[in-house]
Amino acid sequence: MIPTGVLEADARKQAALDLLVRYVRVVDDPRRIEEWPDLFAAEAEYLVITRENYERGLPIAVIRDDSKDRICDRLVIIKQFWGAGGRAEDHHYNAGWPRHIVGPTWVESGDAGQLLVGAHFMVWSTAAVDGSPRLLVVGEYRDVVDFATGAPKLKKKTVILDTSILQDVFVYPL
Amino acid sequence: MDARRSAQVGPTDRSPDGTLGPAAPPAAPDLLARIRWPQEDNKIPREIFTDPDLFRLEMDAVFTGPVWVLVGHESEIPRPGDYKTFSVGAIPVIVIRSADGRIGVLVNACAHRGTRLVEGPSGNVGRGGFRCIYHMWTYDTEGRLTAVSLPQDFPSDFRKEDYGLARARTETYGGAIFATFHDDAPPLRDYLAELADGLDRVLGDGALRYLGAISVIFRTNWKLYIENIYDGYHVTALHTGFQVVRLRSHGGERLVPNYERHGHLWGRSHSTPVDQLNPVLRDMSLFEVRTKPSTDHNIMVVFPSGVVTDYFDTIQMRYVVPLELDRTMIEFVFFARAEDTEEEVWHRVRQGPAVLGPAGAITLEDAAALERVQLSATARGENVVLKGTPRRFPPYRHVDEAPIRHFYQAYRRLLGFTLPSEDAPR
Repeated sequence: MIPTGVLEADARKQAALDLLVRYVRVVDDPRRIEEWPDLFAAEAEYLVITRENYERGLPIAVIRDDSKDRICDRLVIIKQFWGAGGRAEDHHYNAGWPRHIVGPTWVESGDAGQLLVGAHFMVWSTAAVDGSPRLLVVGEYRDVVDFATGAPKLKKKTVILDTSILQDVFVYPL
Repeated sequence: MDARRSAQVGPTDRSPDGTLGPAAPPAAPDLLARIRWPQEDNKIPREIFTDPDLFRLEMDAVFTGPVWVLVGHESEIPRPGDYKTFSVGAIPVIVIRSADGRIGVLVNACAHRGTRLVEGPSGNVGRGGFRCIYHMWTYDTEGRLTAVSLPQDFPSDFRKEDYGLARARTETYGGAIFATFHDDAPPLRDYLAELADGLDRVLGDGALRYLGAISVIFRTNWKLYIENIYDGYHVTALHTGFQVVRLRSHGGERLVPNYERHGHLWGRSHSTPVDQLNPVLRDMSLFEVRTKPSTDHNIMVVFPSGVVTDYFDTIQMRYVVPLELDRTMIEFVFFARAEDTEEEVWHRVRQGPAVLGPAGAITLEDAAALERVQLSATARGENVVLKGTPRRFPPYRHVDEAPIRHFYQAYRRLLGFTLPSEDAPR
């Protein structure tokens, strides 16, 4: 017989991994991007930073959405600011299909029932402007997944980019 | 000096302060003749964005010509031995604070067999100096050769003093570091003279705190990136975010000080205060000015490749590095003031990249537009500059694109392209 606690831990681990998969499907699909803020907890942080700045302790980040408000604002920026003259909500200045490739993924226990999820990832983007596939970034996810409300939510997502020279600008979150 | 008159001066004449006269001798006459530059000063032949021979020529005639290239700020390398790597045109360099605290720019190639001495964006050289991995030649922070391995059987006249690292002339202004490889570059203060007031406003006495940098590659020719800064016309058309929040410039001007010589830009504008904007964002601090008495902004281009701005509360320099004909690296570098409170520093950290950075509210569009210009430059023909051009000389309105003409005037002069005809129709 399997003890209840173990079953629960396995279920939470699976839920955290499912959240990562859902995250990737949302950020890779312009039609689902409105679901993105909902993947985060009510108080949450989304940080994209180059390894260079991260390891030197420099505060400048590519994206520092350090509140749920800023995470929600990103959606407004994506849909309205970058909407290529507002012609269409899903038509952007550098329209293209982003494609996350997520490699090895690991889950560890954190504080207060949270789980720490790490993964290697890369993003290819096939640009509409010339049809070329572009390796956008290579890096590492360090997620803190919170279960305070039952469902898994991102308390903090830190995206560390090995590619300290970004190969292109990008629209959708990494 | 009247610009019309100066255009008559012969190509080898020099003005009294040692700056370059109107036109350099053609750097490569056959190549330049191949590119047909119209008589009018508001037309730009698209070949200049697609010609690989011209690109190679520019690396010499512009970036190692009689100009000062912005390569960094002292606060990026605060301690003795701190360095960062950079490129002046095609020349890889090490920008370094020496053991005695002086700023220098060394060529990042061993004097022996040309091996790259340091890699990576930055570091501290430590006590040992730069040691080449190939034959263990070692240099100090001044670029002097201090040791070689196994020097037996070298020619008898070998002297370490003869094998120091090549150096660029280096000067600073407000902490900003400039380098030149050309003997005829005037003293930096003369080169920057008409920008001094603007630079002083942004850089102050140079007491800045380095917050970090983000580099991104734009798929465009370096000139298209630079001319975009001179262009006030695209701002409301392209940057939809400004329309959405109803942020406008209420007056301002685009000066091209020194236009008859160096072609720098100084743009000034006064924008809508944050409390009068359309609050479409929950956190409107992106557009908020907390550290200045007004919403006055400055943006400057130090010809040929440096950008300095104090947009909202973002103190930023950009170093523009041409990589290939159609690839340009832009390094966005962010600063706080040394006297800032922690709250002010944090405000700048949150605002800077969120507005003026690769994932910022108003940068992506520039990349997208410039990539499209680059992609169709093979169509030949000419790009044309219209808005504000009935006015012949600066100052221009902040919404004009006319200052672009002066960037290309300086560019043509450096390369030795035929200068525009004074009588051409506009």
